[in-house]
Amino acid sequence: MRPAIADIERTLAAISGVSVAEEALGTVARVELAFVPDALSALKAAGYESLVDFDGTDTGEFVELTYRLRSYALDLELFVKSTVAYGGTIESVWFDYPSALMPERETAELLGIHLAGHPNPKRLLTTDGVEPLLRRDVLIRTVEEVKAR
Amino acid sequence: MSDICEETLGVGLLCEGQHDPGTPPAGLRRAPSGVDGLTTEHLIINMGPQHPSTHGVLRMIVEVDGEEIVAAEVSVGYLHRGIEKLAEHRRYDAVGTLMDRGDYVSGMMGELAFALAAEQLMDVEVPRKAHWLRSLASELNRLASHLVWYGTFGLDTGAMGQFLYAMREREALLDILEALSGQRMMFNYIRPGGVVADMPLGVTEKIRAFLSTFDMYLDEYDQLLGGNEIFQGRVKGIGTIDRQMALAFGLTGANLRAAGVDFDIRKARPYAAYPELDFEVPLGSTGDAWDRYNVRMAEMRQSARMIAQLIDGMPEGEHTAKVPRIIRPNAGEVYASVESSRGETGIHLISDGTEHPYRMHYRGPSLYAAQALEEILPGHLIADVVMIIGSTDIMLGELDR
Repeated sequence: MRPAIADIERTLAAISGVSVAEEALGTVARVELAFVPDALSALKAAGYESLVDFDGTDTGEFVELTYRLRSYALDLELFVKSTVAYGGTIESVWFDYPSALMPERETAELLGIHLAGHPNPKRLLTTDGVEPLLRRDVLIRTVEEVKAR
Repeated sequence: MSDICEETLGVGLLCEGQHDPGTPPAGLRRAPSGVDGLTTEHLIINMGPQHPSTHGVLRMIVEVDGEEIVAAEVSVGYLHRGIEKLAEHRRYDAVGTLMDRGDYVSGMMGELAFALAAEQLMDVEVPRKAHWLRSLASELNRLASHLVWYGTFGLDTGAMGQFLYAMREREALLDILEALSGQRMMFNYIRPGGVVADMPLGVTEKIRAFLSTFDMYLDEYDQLLGGNEIFQGRVKGIGTIDRQMALAFGLTGANLRAAGVDFDIRKARPYAAYPELDFEVPLGSTGDAWDRYNVRMAEMRQSARMIAQLIDGMPEGEHTAKVPRIIRPNAGEVYASVESSRGETGIHLISDGTEHPYRMHYRGPSLYAAQALEEILPGHLIADVVMIIGSTDIMLGELDR
């Protein structure tokens, strides 16, 4: 289920700024934003053939991105994490993982970041004018505010 | 915040100059550029968002050359309720009510996914009986959900009778689930620590009465729809999702297994009572709509088999661990998955040690199946669209969240 740290380090040896650790979440490889596409390409070549989840979290200082990869052949799962500044741009990984197409759009609109290299980078769930709802400083309306609309 | 918002909202997320899809990756026939990105004289048809065959509020934009689909775009979001954001404002024992409203046809599995995630952050040992009750509730709910799929999939092909039979069986199941949890659909039954109540008197007998006829009825239903040459003619060989495409699009559940990939969370990452149950994982081979039909029908037989084992072997004991009235899990980050009716439902949960989740991400299998439709549909006829959507068994409530 969890890959060995040494195996992941070996796979990502050519990419600078990578750290791999065992966490409660699982085996996590932390990669600098600029190297995420290269890291994911290397991991795909190493057998992680499916991206089964992608999401982002507003940490209060930046947005943390989490890619969840799975190798069915090896029965392994790996998390790849990176960070992006508010309003920053992330490179789409759809070319290696087409399953990222919609999750990337969703993460971009709900956390207020931009997509580069995405073939169809429109909003997915909300319409123009809606704030990035998953940012911590975007508050949900109270009952009174909803009634007063 | 305001500057970033203005930039985000003013410019929009569609970045000019980034719309060149380039060469499609191996395994994809076309780059998913979106219908409106193409320059063409073909006819563009809007299907939905209020179309009865889209199984929810789904809008398909299809570009056709005569009756043949050239490109398709899936437009979603009409049922977005901000479940992930709302979860940040709920106590842990109340998030289940949100999960019920995600995949509202099989809410038990959503509740279970969240409970499993929360329990990883809590110092709690879930009693064995609670595990069994969770599996029982999940399998009953899976049957109820698959029956909705069976009935409506038949409607998509023009058949009617099977829908009435499926709803009859489903009603019996909803009665059982109501007796078990107090609710027919919005259960809030599985909570961190266990389940909300023990099995009431009489439920076991109700389940036995249901099972006494279900296998026989299921054979008849399979014959009624699957044995129909018109149905076969409309689903065989269409909407093929082979292994490569299934993995590329992150498909899970029956859609993945129909392509021959032997992966079921209940076997691969056992949870609840599944390690103690005897069941098989049905597989397909080609991954077409017919394979997906057969896999789901076989899954119903396996669910009935598991339910019989669960009521026969239900252990004695507590139905829940002792958990505080206000749950404050340890700070940390975890991920939990369950095999829901439509595939892998995952919860990525981050706690800061307070009574509300800091972040809850809800991974629904329908999102991944829906985006694969953009790849599957081109090359098919307009008449195939509803069959292909029906065969993937997507749930828009869970997709939009």
